[in-house]
Amino acid sequence: MSSLRIQGGKVHDPANGIDGAVQDICIRDGRIVDALPADAPIMDARGLVIMAGGVDIHSHVAGGSCNQVRRLLPEEHLADPAPAPHLVDGEPQPRSGTGGTVPTTFTTGYRYAGLGYTTVFDAAVPPISARHTHHELNDTPILDTGFYALLGNDRFLLDQIGRGEREKAREYVAWLLGATGGYAVKIVNPGGVEQWKNGGRNVATLDDPVGPGKTTARTILETLTDAANVLKLPHPVHIHCNNLGQAGNVATTLATMQALAGKRAHLTHLQFHAYGGGNGQPWCSAAPQLVEFIDGHPELSVDVGQVMFGNATTVTADSPVEYLLSASTGRKWINVDIELETGCGIVPYTYKEKAAVSALQWAVGLELFLLSKDPWRVVLSTDHPNGGTFHSYPQLIRLLMDRTWRDDVLKGVNQKMLAGSKLLDGLSREFSLNEIAIITRAGPARQLGLTNKGHLGVGADADITLYSPDPDFSKMFSTPRFVLKGGIPVVEEGQLRRAPQGRRLMVAPAYDAAIKKDLAKYFEAHSSVALANYPVSRELMGAGERQ
Amino acid sequence: MSRFESVTCLGCGCSCDDIAVTVDGTRIANVERSCTLGTKWFGDGSTAQSARIGGRVVEPEVAWAEAGSRLRTSSASGRALVYLAAEVTTDGQRAAVALADRLGARIDSVSSDTIARGILAAQRRGRSSATLGELRDRVDLAVFWGVDPADRYPRFLERYLPRAGRQFIAVDVGEARGPADADQRLIVSAAEELGALAVMRAAAAGRLPPGLEGPMAAAAEIGKRLTAARYCAVIHDAEPGAIAPNPERAEGLIGLTQGLNTPTRAALCGLRAGGNRMGADQVLTWQTGFPMTVDFAGGAPRYQPARPASALLAAGAIDLVVVVGDYHTLPPGVAGALDPNRTIVIGPNATVTAPPEAIAIDTGRAGIHEGGTAFRLDDVPLPVTALLPGPLTIERAVRQLQQAATVAR
Repeated sequence: MSSLRIQGGKVHDPANGIDGAVQDICIRDGRIVDALPADAPIMDARGLVIMAGGVDIHSHVAGGSCNQVRRLLPEEHLADPAPAPHLVDGEPQPRSGTGGTVPTTFTTGYRYAGLGYTTVFDAAVPPISARHTHHELNDTPILDTGFYALLGNDRFLLDQIGRGEREKAREYVAWLLGATGGYAVKIVNPGGVEQWKNGGRNVATLDDPVGPGKTTARTILETLTDAANVLKLPHPVHIHCNNLGQAGNVATTLATMQALAGKRAHLTHLQFHAYGGGNGQPWCSAAPQLVEFIDGHPELSVDVGQVMFGNATTVTADSPVEYLLSASTGRKWINVDIELETGCGIVPYTYKEKAAVSALQWAVGLELFLLSKDPWRVVLSTDHPNGGTFHSYPQLIRLLMDRTWRDDVLKGVNQKMLAGSKLLDGLSREFSLNEIAIITRAGPARQLGLTNKGHLGVGADADITLYSPDPDFSKMFSTPRFVLKGGIPVVEEGQLRRAPQGRRLMVAPAYDAAIKKDLAKYFEAHSSVALANYPVSRELMGAGERQ
Repeated sequence: MSRFESVTCLGCGCSCDDIAVTVDGTRIANVERSCTLGTKWFGDGSTAQSARIGGRVVEPEVAWAEAGSRLRTSSASGRALVYLAAEVTTDGQRAAVALADRLGARIDSVSSDTIARGILAAQRRGRSSATLGELRDRVDLAVFWGVDPADRYPRFLERYLPRAGRQFIAVDVGEARGPADADQRLIVSAAEELGALAVMRAAAAGRLPPGLEGPMAAAAEIGKRLTAARYCAVIHDAEPGAIAPNPERAEGLIGLTQGLNTPTRAALCGLRAGGNRMGADQVLTWQTGFPMTVDFAGGAPRYQPARPASALLAAGAIDLVVVVGDYHTLPPGVAGALDPNRTIVIGPNATVTAPPEAIAIDTGRAGIHEGGTAFRLDDVPLPVTALLPGPLTIERAVRQLQQAATVAR
């Protein structure tokens, strides 16, 4: 039985109403407890800031798409070698790797933990390649991990929707999440990817038909949102809206929100869906309109998808968007059409301060953060590695906490599309440490339904990060002094010292077994994989934890 | 007798997973739905279970100790090579990469001496591809570029591109021929191949030059047909064969299929051999960032695509090779350059197939004696089944070797 008292630190635990109070945190057997015997071991945390371990609600870290990125970009890996860390006990074997915008698996685990993050979700896994994702997550140490299964262009589901059989669609969702070890339902450009694969290029509105029958983006959104809510999944449907990255796409985003109003839903990387203009008008920020809507609809949550200047890699199931990006940039491009389910597009990209669109995207993201009245529902992401990598989170935190620095950066960016931007008008808001704790751990954990994470109350997982205060918030959040994962000190004095295996977070909703008869016929007719070979074995899901 | 359904065959990269296998005790009694290649691959499941040093059968403990000692010595000099042959599960491949990382060795796979040009071309340009079921669902026009899948991938057409309802075009490049029953045929010499590809790309871009004649005029017509198709697939053999392809072919095919996605939809499909070769690329990539030719000597992975295993061996840059997998699957350039006295083979039937001078330790074969995961030629991961009891798994054997080398340190 291991125990530890973290003594004398300033605790920022917004989920429990604690904002900088000096108090002890007691840990026993990997969980936070109310009290410990007086002779329990002590970690001296005087002068340190204590938060729960970070929770990343939307990232791309493992699986077929990420490995396509890695294979495409050897030049990035050559430039960023990552020797194996020196772990205190040498077990498990520390591993070397490489970085770049999509680091190798072991390096991903080490580097996320090195920033104080202990839970990460991969946001887009084609169910047919879930087996691959589990393999990679098993090689991603320290972190508790899970993934969202791509369903917004799934042919079986679209067929059910087209026939008006929404209950059957729900049964399918339940079966599929359990079969693949997924955690939530992901929708990417509903119907648009199927159109791209079918030669129709894309859909433009929520009501464009997608194949025969009643299937449209709207009916896909409604069906899957209801399915996730009726199944009481811990995380609601996770939506990447139609028309990502297009001028004037705010109309689509608002239409999506309105279509789902009153229903619990999460919209992801909202920054990429928050542009006005189009139809001959110049691009502009539409962040204020979206924030106003979100503020008035407590059933909705979002993550921002902030753009950070520098190298990124765009990787998404929204393959028609990547076709356009490759055509406009001329950079190398991967497209993979994935049978019956989804797509995959990849284009390396660089966000430049002096490029008008990059500057607009940067400003829109910051506006979403700074204008929002409820940080619990507008949480931090860069859509790693799309808007920037997770390595840039500390710089993003500084932008939110330090107006002077933010304004300095703003002066240096292209102003062409910033006319009317709230940011240019001078947004004075500076996030507090508690607000940072909300957008990086408490808020994401709440949106994910992770009752044991994102806070430091009794019963919570002892995933804890201790920072040395520094007026340079970027520096402070880049190098935590200590990180504990399940009570195990993985970072000590800023050095990675242990790398235990994390757990898999997944769901297994009940379903009507009759769906398997339909699936047997469907797989026989359409799939290149036998139905018996589709589910992932429990053994491969690792040390899993069904929510 | 016990019967296994939906078994995955690793006889070629098609990885057909609809096979039924009947097992009688420790032998495979019957295999259903497999092609001739698959039936041969399954065989009767018998395998050697022994260890050998210099042609002498030894107790496994003796082989481990000797292998560990030799590996320790060579890894200290930074001149050890872990070589991933085929017939290994993903978990066996993971263990092999971990071994190389731990030892600061080099690691390579059969890819570097077989399909490296295709990998490097895709790293320069990207690619447009699709999973095999997507081809089956969408493709109305398929081009077979110097390949008839029936030769080395017997069930490819039956399972993934059945003939009904689609048009086939064969492009014969010299002696490399497409299917005999294609609806249309373009015959070009090896010297004309890249020109034909360029003409087709021009057709896709709507910029055909005037005055084309002979094979180039025919290529232009095919380019127009591709452009007018609903969804076209270009199929080629990524593996080396009797006729060496133009080294620029892979990049030309990538460019063509990418370009076709402006007027229509198109995917490139490279056929690959079996034994989970794709898995080696995948595991190396997620653990090191590179799909082949990795050197851990500097403490972190370095990519050395210009120095494949065959070149390192021929240059005498390697003191000891640990072959992980089926020795039979080594490319000729690697097998021919190995010094058997400085070789450890851990794999199925190693004591039978490896040169007598080598240290050989038998293991099971992925998909027959070992369960786990294997990747199909289109990167789709599939489960493979342990149909029969066998010797030590490759994963455990590699970990045992690592332990032996570490203890010896």
